Amino acid sequence: MTSMAGKGQTAEEAVGFQRVWLMLRKALRKPQFWFGVTMITPLLAWYWIFSFRPIIGAFRMSTVTYKIMEPANSPFVGIGNFLKIAQHPLFLVSIKNTLLWAALSFVFNLPLAMLIAVFLSKVRRGRNIYQALIFIPVVVSLVAVSLLFRMLMDPEVGQLNKLLSSVGLPELQWLSSSATALPTAVIIAAWKGIGFFVVILTAGILNIPAELYDAALVDGTNAWQQFWRITLPLLGHTVVLITVLLAIGSLQEFTLPTVLTQGGPGSATYLYNMLIYEEAFVDTRFGTATAASLLQFVFILTISILQIKLIRPTWSY
Amino acid sequence: MAAIRKSGHAQRWPAARILISQGILHALLLGMSVMAIFPFVWMTFASFKPFKELVESKDLLPHTWTLQNFEEILNRVNFVAAFRNSLVAAISVTVVSVFTSAVMGYIFSKYRFPGKELLFTIILSTMMVPFAVVMVPLYVTIARDFKLADELGGIIVTGFFTAFGIFLMRQFMESIPFELIDAARIDGASEWRIFFMLVLPMSLSPMSALAVFVFLSNWDSYLWPLIVLNSLDKQTLPLVLAGLRNLWWTRYEMWAAGSILTVVPIMIIYSFASRYFIRGIAMTGLKA
Repeated sequence: MTSMAGKGQTAEEAVGFQRVWLMLRKALRKPQFWFGVTMITPLLAWYWIFSFRPIIGAFRMSTVTYKIMEPANSPFVGIGNFLKIAQHPLFLVSIKNTLLWAALSFVFNLPLAMLIAVFLSKVRRGRNIYQALIFIPVVVSLVAVSLLFRMLMDPEVGQLNKLLSSVGLPELQWLSSSATALPTAVIIAAWKGIGFFVVILTAGILNIPAELYDAALVDGTNAWQQFWRITLPLLGHTVVLITVLLAIGSLQEFTLPTVLTQGGPGSATYLYNMLIYEEAFVDTRFGTATAASLLQFVFILTISILQIKLIRPTWSY
Repeated sequence: MAAIRKSGHAQRWPAARILISQGILHALLLGMSVMAIFPFVWMTFASFKPFKELVESKDLLPHTWTLQNFEEILNRVNFVAAFRNSLVAAISVTVVSVFTSAVMGYIFSKYRFPGKELLFTIILSTMMVPFAVVMVPLYVTIARDFKLADELGGIIVTGFFTAFGIFLMRQFMESIPFELIDAARIDGASEWRIFFMLVLPMSLSPMSALAVFVFLSNWDSYLWPLIVLNSLDKQTLPLVLAGLRNLWWTRYEMWAAGSILTVVPIMIIYSFASRYFIRGIAMTGLKA
């Protein structure tokens, strides 16, 4: 290859070429090089096929009326798909429901998770056992959890209404009334997911140096002041992480409302991801479905960046 | 996790006050724990009740124990096939992706090559893209390019690499000293030998945490299998379980029995691995 470079080239080019070739030859002789290449090649191939290309493909797909039989001939419609999805009868309803779902997720998850985490950090014995028990709903199949609460919350024969009436309280419609269905579903989601946030928060609290609390105790502070002045400020990074995770997760909720209520009653629990799914795989309009998903992408990205910018503490320890 | 505070301010509090406050803490935490597991306890007993008792009685324990729910569900619905499909998919994805995460974690933490940081950043940023965005193009890829529509392979091949796993393993491998690997190289060990005999054995703890995580998330996965798998005999447990709702509208004893069959394997794994799993989750929170 060096001899090939010599002909018809200036001397400088030849020297530069030789240097590259020497470096390459040195790298080729290293055993690390071959190990690295053998491992990185499948990674690149897989990421290209199953991640990068689909993401790029989504942008293209959102601008055409996708023809499943002959995708190359799909007519270009520009922003037509975005206009079309905005006119979908359930578009605004699903956005309203999803935002409400996300907001309620914060209300039902964060304060309670923080409270349990503080309890766990203060308890001297059995912390691991309590943590393992509170974490159980996180690992159980969401579908099983959905069926379980459908049974418990049946307005006619469910155990929850039997419990309410046995202590003299009025029975509730739970998932069967459009007024209560969405908050009820979010409570179920919070019941299932809260253990995850509890574990992360507990680890964060236990990571705060004990000397700070000892010093605060010498200064005569009470538990309330310790929480607001030490625990919460020093937990800043962890709180950012879980608010971002909670926002990303709740804005993409799909399985729970699908299995629990199928979006009903009416469209009371119909969320944005269900709209994308039905647009794509029930009505097979790939173009509009992908356009809808890109709107979601932009929204989630904006929310995440805002959260990080607004709450991220500027210090670290 | 080194700075775990076991007993923060023991000496300063009078013994009786500590006893009372600890007692209250235990009562509250016990209450939370009961709320977390009681619905499952109820469902377990419900799966042994006849329908009439399940809807009429308030009692937790069955008056008449019956195995008929399980019998009927196994006869009418192909739970065995669904169980096998779930197991095959979850195990394949777990084995492959834990291995690839370990290799890539090693390479991203201990190798130097042009574009390394860029590649790592790009791979991590794919985690920011909502699944809904890739869902349709990915289905087209699986169905058209790989002819894997309605095949178990279609939900397996998409799980071979995980950005989260690569990130987790790289974080851990940063703590393995370079000197150790260089010493092995000077001793003449091949790269393969170094990876399999030195690096892998040192990384078993984060790998098992990742394995439990990947297994459970695949076992529970619903949306992607729902898109890829259509025929009843190809479906995984969550799909078949969700199907019970339409098959037996309000036959709750069947729902309970089906849910128990799905949940039992998870509970077995969890009872062994909860500590690794919880430690793994806690670690990601601290590293962020």
